[in-house]
Amino acid sequence: MSAHSATDKFVYHEPGLQHQFEDMGQQEESVTIGMWMFLVQEILFFGGLFTAYLVFRYRYPMAFAAGSNHLDAFWGGLNTLVLIVSSLTMALTVYFAQKGNRSMQVILILLTMFFGSVFLGVKAVEYTDKYNHGLIPVTGWNKKTPAAEPGAHSAHSAKPCYEVEHGGEHTYVNPHGDFLWTDCSLVKTAMDGNFLTSAEKAGYFDQAFAPGAEISADKFRDKVRIFFFLYFVMTGLHALHMIVGLGLMTWLLWTAFKGYYSAEYYMPVEMSGLYWHFVDIVWIFLFPLLYLLGRHFLHTH
Amino acid sequence: MQASDAISTGYGSAKGNYLTNGSTLASWLLTKDHKRIAIMYLVTVSMFFMMGGLYAAAIRLELLTPASDLLETGTYNRVFTQHGILMIFFFLIPSIPAILGNFMLPLMIGAKDLAMPRINLLSLYIYWAGGLLTLYALMQGGVDTGWTFYTPYSTTFSNSYVMAVGLGIFINGFSSILTGLNFIVTIHTMRAPGMTWFRLPLFVWAHYATSLVMILGTPVIAITVLLVAIERTVKVGIFDPAIGGDPILFQHLFWFYSHPAVYIMILPGMGVVSELISNFSRKKIFGYEFIAFSSIAIAVFGFLVWGHHMFVSGQSVYAGLVFSFLTMVVAVPSAIKMFNWTATLYKGSITFDTPMLYAFGFMGLFLIGGLTGLFLGSVGLTVHLTDTYFVVAHFHYVMVGGQVIAYLGGIHYWWPKMTGRMYSEFWGKISAMLVFVGFNLTFFPQFILGYQGMPRRYAAYPEELQVLNIFSTAGASVLGVGLVMPVVYLTHSLVFGAKAADNPWMLPGLEWRTSSPPPTENFDVMPVVTWEAYEFGEENGLDLEAARRSDVVTA
Amino acid sequence: MSDNHEQHDHMNIPKYVGVFLVLVVGTILTYYAALVDMDSIFPGANTLVALLIAFTKMAVVMLFFMHVYWSKRLIWLSAIGSFFWLAIMFAFTLQDYLTRSEGVFGR
Repeated sequence: MSAHSATDKFVYHEPGLQHQFEDMGQQEESVTIGMWMFLVQEILFFGGLFTAYLVFRYRYPMAFAAGSNHLDAFWGGLNTLVLIVSSLTMALTVYFAQKGNRSMQVILILLTMFFGSVFLGVKAVEYTDKYNHGLIPVTGWNKKTPAAEPGAHSAHSAKPCYEVEHGGEHTYVNPHGDFLWTDCSLVKTAMDGNFLTSAEKAGYFDQAFAPGAEISADKFRDKVRIFFFLYFVMTGLHALHMIVGLGLMTWLLWTAFKGYYSAEYYMPVEMSGLYWHFVDIVWIFLFPLLYLLGRHFLHTH
Repeated sequence: MQASDAISTGYGSAKGNYLTNGSTLASWLLTKDHKRIAIMYLVTVSMFFMMGGLYAAAIRLELLTPASDLLETGTYNRVFTQHGILMIFFFLIPSIPAILGNFMLPLMIGAKDLAMPRINLLSLYIYWAGGLLTLYALMQGGVDTGWTFYTPYSTTFSNSYVMAVGLGIFINGFSSILTGLNFIVTIHTMRAPGMTWFRLPLFVWAHYATSLVMILGTPVIAITVLLVAIERTVKVGIFDPAIGGDPILFQHLFWFYSHPAVYIMILPGMGVVSELISNFSRKKIFGYEFIAFSSIAIAVFGFLVWGHHMFVSGQSVYAGLVFSFLTMVVAVPSAIKMFNWTATLYKGSITFDTPMLYAFGFMGLFLIGGLTGLFLGSVGLTVHLTDTYFVVAHFHYVMVGGQVIAYLGGIHYWWPKMTGRMYSEFWGKISAMLVFVGFNLTFFPQFILGYQGMPRRYAAYPEELQVLNIFSTAGASVLGVGLVMPVVYLTHSLVFGAKAADNPWMLPGLEWRTSSPPPTENFDVMPVVTWEAYEFGEENGLDLEAARRSDVVTA
Repeated sequence: MSDNHEQHDHMNIPKYVGVFLVLVVGTILTYYAALVDMDSIFPGANTLVALLIAFTKMAVVMLFFMHVYWSKRLIWLSAIGSFFWLAIMFAFTLQDYLTRSEGVFGR
């Protein structure tokens, strides 16, 4: 650069400078602020769902704990780790973009895409599992199991609902693909421990405040269904953001491969990185709030 | 540099302007020029406004007689819902920011364009997409839930096109978010040298506050409408109390956006009026910092008061008290603006041009609208007034008396800059008067009707309320004429109007220092700002009277 | 411009890996913390611990992976402000739900 004469800077066209800006500094600042404003609105976008989660969890903690106990914390935890690794590779992509190292950029973008895809694959496994076990909260969207299928157990057991276990190796009779939930053992535990709130009693019991009120399997199922609804909407929206992120990565891979980025111009890499990390942060909250709440009930009772 | 030089020579270009820079359809549809995008917004928003107005006319005609005779009750439900949805989501929210803000913001701060021109164009296309989807739903038969989409009616019982309209609003929301995002970035990074934060015109401050609300509030309505759509499709029960859901949660989420949304509508209007009051009093605005920060205060406090829409919906009494108290607090920044505008007028050299008439209209009507808002914000009184015509009158005083009048004032004020033509001042004044008179005749009787107990959203009412309803319908006809007239004489002025001078009002703002209409790049050279906002003075060559005497500008 | 170009002096590969390890430890910690019944100490203790860990992880990601630590005050403000607005939404919604059963219309 030092070999260039002073007049060179007037003919030198900075890569990627848009017409409305005076110089790269102004453009970089604008793009950074713009991206952060976008992330602010994304936070509020997810915030509406978190508010819904908060309200329902405050009202029906046991239903939420019961639902959560039936999510697979292994897959959830694995996905958290996968996403954290992808965040690391993304951060390193930005680092090597700043260094102007094209081949490392391409490798790391590929790795980021790989881990992002693994995350989505695990989600697909989990969703399939929910489909097979009648845990999708929409009538008719679950696996339909005709009554005649050998080895099928009746969902409507003669036993009280708190002695029926959900899930496991059973195949339930579910001819219409309903949301199936028969296990209310957790409510029984809470009732025996006398820590049900009156709102919960009203939510789970028939004639909640009459003496000898019984747990109603149907009423409890409706509350658990809300948990699973929120689970699917929140993780679904997150997965949608992951898919958008993968699209972004594909474009980034192409442009990085073509060598568009240099130590002077790497804004698109950095901005994509911000988005990717944001999606990671959402999952950092979703994991404990959806998978781990009430987990200790499984171990202490 | 002498300011007078700057004003007489200007930063403008004689080489051509943004209107002559390309005349093909593609040069408009693929433009990245904020001015052309604003013009396209102007055309579309006006169309939605006229459609919303037709629905309003249908409502007023139906209410001419006590019986439900012109419209069936079911049809009436759809008509007032469509009126609300078109007016709120497709007129009030985009009108000032997307038209006047889009056009003027870069000019006012001395930028070549908004920071993200392509995102600006994208927001227009998103607006069109959302609008087309909503129009499609309206042609299919529309929606009858009220613009508030209250659950469980909207999710479970309504047989109308809730999904399509909801999706239209969901899409349209992102247009609003992108506009807000663009404005915030632009104001932060695109200001010309010397244009410090406290030299910004108050219109820009108002848009900064509006953009904050857009970014922080709109995503919440998006997710809420999405939940309603999912609930309506798959019947999970999240908003259905029969199976454990919670309709009050919907109201919390809905009003978390929709209350701040009224500040999206009114704050830009306040920005326009700050410009008009100061510029047509030819006096530096009184209490610049107070007006600027009261905009930000309204944007922040506006998020803390949404529960006053839910006083009688089953919300807890304590929450009602807190929301009621904060509602009183949010009146303070609005009052600060009113006092400062009044103080600006004091001893000013006021000229009664058309935009100033609108500004005066705004001050009176917004005062009434704001003060009746305090009635509705007090927990006790609102039990009597909830869902009556008192509420309808209140928000029309704020939305029409405030926002629409400010919008019209702004359109008239900047029309010579936007088009390069002067409209007929005579007809402008007539229409401003008609709007003011017609508006009051339409909506003042509704305060009385509401206080007497006439509920909103009904096609029929008791016979003893007919007299006031006739007044109201008569007023609506006058208002209608007053609103159609600008369309006629403004369009007329495009062809037959006198050519406007670069600075027809002799004002110090940066937008008046380029040519009318501005060149595509806005300024031929990068402007350097050496003056404070609203810095008048004859030594600056800004003597309007002298200019008019010597025919430099048209009167 | 200069701000951005100074950034890569602040972080290097060992530091990025260090941040990554903090996140991994946080994930493992949050899993095992959920298995312990802390709710018997006081109700909500499990959730509190889970959220504290999540907030720590978030802070680390934002500060170092997203370079907020070296960014302008406006970026800090927007990061903090967005969570402040979330807090407004949560708090003002909950002030309704938490006080439903109190006052004149309560039990």
